[in-house]
Amino acid sequence: MKFAFSMLKDFVETSSSAVEIGDLLTMAGFELEGIEEVEGEMMLDIKVVSNRGDGLSVLGLAREVLAKQPQARPTELYQRAAARFPAADLGRSEASGFAQVVIETEDCTRFACRAFQGDFSKPAPQHIQKRLRIAGMRSLGLLVDLTNYVMLEVGQPLHAYDLDKLGGRKLVVRKAKSGEKLTTLNGDEHELNPQQMMICDADRPVGVAGVMGGLDSEVTSGTTRILLEAAHFVNTSVRRTRKQLGLSTEASYRFERSVDPEGVVAALNRFAELLAEVDSGSTLVPGVIDVYPAPPQSHLIEVSVGRASKLLGMPVTPADAKGYLERLGFIVNGEGDQLSVTGPTWRPDVVQEYDVVEEIGRVHGFDKIPEAPIQGTTTQGGVFGRELYLQQIRDKVMRLGFVQNISHSLQDVHPLDDPIGPRVGPRHPSSPEMAVLRNSLLPGLAENARRNGSKDFHLFEIGAIFGATERRTLALLSTGGRTPEHWEKEPPSKASFFTLKASINELWPGLELTDSQDARLHPTRQAQAKGLVFGQIHPDIADELDLPAETFLAEADLEALYMPEERAKSLIRISRNPAVRRDIAILIDKSVPYSQVEKAIETAGGDLLERQWLFDVYEGKGIPEGKHSLALAIQIRKFGENLTDEEANQVRDRVVQALAALGATQR
Amino acid sequence: MEAIAEVEAQAVEAVQNASSTTELRELEIKFLGKQGALTGLLRQIGSLPPDQKPTFGQKVNEAKARVQGIIDSKLDTLKKTEQGARFETERIDVTMPGRASQFGYEHILEQTADKIKAVLGGLGFRYWHSPELEFAKYNFETLNYPPDHPAMDDQDTFWIDEERLLRTQGTSVQGHVFETTPPPFRAFTIGRCYRNEAVDRTHGHTFHQVDAFMVDEGVSMAHLKGTLGQFARAMFGENVTVRFRPDFFPFVEPGVDYAISCPFCGGKGCAVCKRSGWIELGGAGLIHPNILRHFGIDTERYSGFAFGLGVERIPMMAHDIDDLRYFLENDLRFLGQFR
Repeated sequence: MKFAFSMLKDFVETSSSAVEIGDLLTMAGFELEGIEEVEGEMMLDIKVVSNRGDGLSVLGLAREVLAKQPQARPTELYQRAAARFPAADLGRSEASGFAQVVIETEDCTRFACRAFQGDFSKPAPQHIQKRLRIAGMRSLGLLVDLTNYVMLEVGQPLHAYDLDKLGGRKLVVRKAKSGEKLTTLNGDEHELNPQQMMICDADRPVGVAGVMGGLDSEVTSGTTRILLEAAHFVNTSVRRTRKQLGLSTEASYRFERSVDPEGVVAALNRFAELLAEVDSGSTLVPGVIDVYPAPPQSHLIEVSVGRASKLLGMPVTPADAKGYLERLGFIVNGEGDQLSVTGPTWRPDVVQEYDVVEEIGRVHGFDKIPEAPIQGTTTQGGVFGRELYLQQIRDKVMRLGFVQNISHSLQDVHPLDDPIGPRVGPRHPSSPEMAVLRNSLLPGLAENARRNGSKDFHLFEIGAIFGATERRTLALLSTGGRTPEHWEKEPPSKASFFTLKASINELWPGLELTDSQDARLHPTRQAQAKGLVFGQIHPDIADELDLPAETFLAEADLEALYMPEERAKSLIRISRNPAVRRDIAILIDKSVPYSQVEKAIETAGGDLLERQWLFDVYEGKGIPEGKHSLALAIQIRKFGENLTDEEANQVRDRVVQALAALGATQR
Repeated sequence: MEAIAEVEAQAVEAVQNASSTTELRELEIKFLGKQGALTGLLRQIGSLPPDQKPTFGQKVNEAKARVQGIIDSKLDTLKKTEQGARFETERIDVTMPGRASQFGYEHILEQTADKIKAVLGGLGFRYWHSPELEFAKYNFETLNYPPDHPAMDDQDTFWIDEERLLRTQGTSVQGHVFETTPPPFRAFTIGRCYRNEAVDRTHGHTFHQVDAFMVDEGVSMAHLKGTLGQFARAMFGENVTVRFRPDFFPFVEPGVDYAISCPFCGGKGCAVCKRSGWIELGGAGLIHPNILRHFGIDTERYSGFAFGLGVERIPMMAHDIDDLRYFLENDLRFLGQFR
């Protein structure tokens, strides 16, 4: 909220400068967002939090200054405002002859009017126009300027109707009928619905309640009789209407946050005072029309000052606490520790003890709260279970040489999206780039690889994906050299299906791989296991994304792969006797999967077989069509004694025999 | 006897003139080997008069030992010379590029999260995971947002359907913890939040937040400040202090925004703290009693505090990163600077 510092000085006598008052308000919870000189006056711009509608007025902020600064003094204006701008004529009935007010909805809790007649054609006084400009409001003639000025002063929105333009001299507050139309002051026509609260004359809507008046009943320079409205509406109702109509105003902003229902007539009276000061040749019609079906409930709150001190973590005396609350306009009964407190009508946010504790702390000063170490129960902190597992997987993947990426979850549809399963996304996406939630981490990695030039990357991400459920997965993308090109002569190792497979084996040893048909992957170069799939990218997608054909992808469902009850493994005893290696070269049908060869060797090798590995594969010249030559090594070792040559050869012979059963011949 | 001295002199001269270890090995054999010239003298022993026999043998052995000594010392010298020459031929240019292995590293945001986890873990806070695609009630109603309250306007929300949204704040974890965990406890989460905001250097529609909270007997604003102080000093440096100012969040009462004294200038004012000496980190306060009561917690016995902060802010301050968008773009020229 922007206002001229001089307006605050109308309400408070203080020797503090604008800057000091800005700091004071900040420490009271009304943050100074800006301070500058405008037209030779200091302008303060204060951020008012959404539960403190009372702070959207100079009066409300003056109250905070008086509470925080005991040496500051209320002015005569402040005291009259606190007394609700008393007026002598309120009891008279002339006004009721001018118009009738009917409330037909519970969303309006109070509706009051005063009438004025005469000449309203003079401009508002210069200092008022200037203060409005400083507050960011245009000058729009005497009546509008004074309504805005009173709103700025006390926070109550007002609206002036040209009485002669109101059909039937009647104002009805009711819900709109379907299809009713209204052109608001800004010239926009709105079609209304029965959720929206309207102010109507005898025939038609003349204003959107709490939001904006209608164009037809607008006051003009020729207006000679006005009806001035001050009302109180249920905040959620104003909010709903404002949102539906897309029409936010100074009035709706205040009604949404809270306006003091007891300040309704006071605001009308203040307007009358200011109008009288102008000497415009207009007169007030004595009496007020005040329909007030639902006065606010007051809450009696029992507060223990000792408990407040404990919660705040700083000592506050009962006398101080009482003083703070009274300066804020609370009614406080009781002495000593137990206080009975009633919040003022402009503070609907204060309903229970904690709320009062905050008030005491706020005025006493949160800057006085000391730092104290936590006491109480010792708790086990840290990361456990599934979360720890995720960290361990991440650490392993990094040790395998992958660089962690963290990408957006909101994305456009992408060729690497998981083609299976339901998709979710924002109901109203703000752009196609954010149309859906990722259902795979692969699109993000592919785009990151692309952004980085698409070669020699080994990237991973761990994050949530969204389909039927939200699940955390790991994705890997590997393409190009695994070590940089280098002047030393050994060729750099390149990413392949098998380098990726090795990484996966490192993460999850002993996975049972089966055939897989993921449409994103090369149809004959992919495999899956429980919870994961990996392989070479489908060449068509590689083309489309301009990624190298030799790009390898993996995605693993970490929720599925997490096994909480996994037992610690026992040590395999280490033999201190030397190992013996035997090499075997075989010729075998290419149609025999290597896993069968491996299994056969393992079975035939028995206990003495420590390790086996494949160190060469050859086909082509000298090898019959449909066959290839495999060079295998086996490592044999005994526990507790040295192996004889003969024993090693026996193992080798058994292995050769087993391989023969698969159709292999020794070379 | 003279023969001994003569052979010894020959040997000494030859050894001193030797120019390589190979030559020296040959001389060793020539003079001291089984068939060597000095050793050979011992064979003459039989033809000597009996009274000379013992002394002759002794003299030969003494001569052998002397020659051996000279050979050994010469060998040392020659070895050093030869090794020196070989080292010259083996010289490499140590300024040539090293050969890298495939090197994986962690994203800067995850590094920051790790540090936060370590610090809060050390303070007894247990890490909780909480969904990003969330039921609205955990994001708003459970956190004491009145229905249709303007506080929700502060957080433009990505709604998925009538009931679900992308969480706008890490605080959404609290309902999940309260549902399953009786007090006393200390809990925190770090995770991704979403707000439907226009993207620029300092605003993203996707960002990460920490939310930490505890419930126990007698928890006060001073404990909150103390915990924030410990947390901030572990994260930012030993001399950091915490400042509270009143603020409003529906889920805390009293509510504050908290700032730390600028660790980069010691509070004197610099570019990072925009000359104010303070850096605002987030919101905090005592957990609203409505929330405690909603989960059946006796507010006469228990109280709690909560605080939140943004993850991105931390590396942005520490590393002078001026654009939030870097974090999720994954440019390796960016990520690689924090490996």
